[in-house]
Amino acid sequence: MFGYLFILLFLFVPYYWVAGGGTVALQKLNHLHLKGFFMLTRRLIPRTTYVIDPKVRELRSSIIICNHISYLDPILLVSLFPQQTTIVKNTFFRVPIFGWFLRRAGYVPSSPAEMLGEAMIKNLENVKAHLAAGGNFFVFPEGTRSRDGNLSTFNRGVFSIARYCGVSLDLVFITGTDQLFRPGTFSFNTRKDNVITLELIASIHPDYQARNFSISSVLDQARQVFEQKIADVKGDARLKTEG
Amino acid sequence: MTRQDIEREVRDIFLRAFEIENPEMDVNLREAYGFDSIDAIELLLEIEKFLDSELTQEEKKQAMDIRTMKQIIDYIEVLAAKRKTLPEKNK
Repeated sequence: MFGYLFILLFLFVPYYWVAGGGTVALQKLNHLHLKGFFMLTRRLIPRTTYVIDPKVRELRSSIIICNHISYLDPILLVSLFPQQTTIVKNTFFRVPIFGWFLRRAGYVPSSPAEMLGEAMIKNLENVKAHLAAGGNFFVFPEGTRSRDGNLSTFNRGVFSIARYCGVSLDLVFITGTDQLFRPGTFSFNTRKDNVITLELIASIHPDYQARNFSISSVLDQARQVFEQKIADVKGDARLKTEG
Repeated sequence: MTRQDIEREVRDIFLRAFEIENPEMDVNLREAYGFDSIDAIELLLEIEKFLDSELTQEEKKQAMDIRTMKQIIDYIEVLAAKRKTLPEKNK
């Protein structure tokens, strides 16, 4: 965290002023910074390999729904997309410098106070403009990391945001990040052979204008796709163990 | 469009989108039914569909202060009067 604050203070803040300010500039800088981080981890942790679906890399103007298994998930997604934003826990907005960066870079606070009244409309309009400009908005609808690989309850918020913005949803399935950076620890597990994968498992195009449209049905549809994928992955792992 | 038409539509939206059956007119929706800010956004989008017209940012912001069914119906009545036209499907 302190290392990150150091980088923010001596790289991001000066860059922001030199570049004349701007959300997109900060997002791109953050993207390059984390891209460099993962290039470094590939060199330093050769036992971990990355398999990124090209269809994931090509996503633009998309609301991306992901399963969440490690702290690495959001930064891995930032490293893939030059223009990206997401919902961030409100507590991070109170951290000096880091909070400044989050606001300037267009991240959306999860706090109810920031998602009420005028602030909520402002945030939604910002997300809409960000998507229209080719940016991605990625969200972990479970809200927190899974400790056992199973899905927690999905929050409806992102599905309402998708409807507000009138865009489709791309479902991305992440595996392996929890083996490299386990929940409950603050160190990298560099000794284990591991594969980190990101796969586009479905795209949902809801008919928002349909008379019988409901957010719940879109949420259920997305959840079923993830549950099926998790069942398939567990089935494959079982076969490997038995074989 | 009469006030009764609007009320009927709003009740239908509440049943369909929020699974709330016949909400009372004057109760605070947040306290009585847990109607939150995400639900408010959903309601706005349903209102747009009903009026067959996109709401302005200012109109959306005004909606964020609404707390009761009666206020919702008043709000739609004002919007409909401003637009002065009835969507065909709701006639």
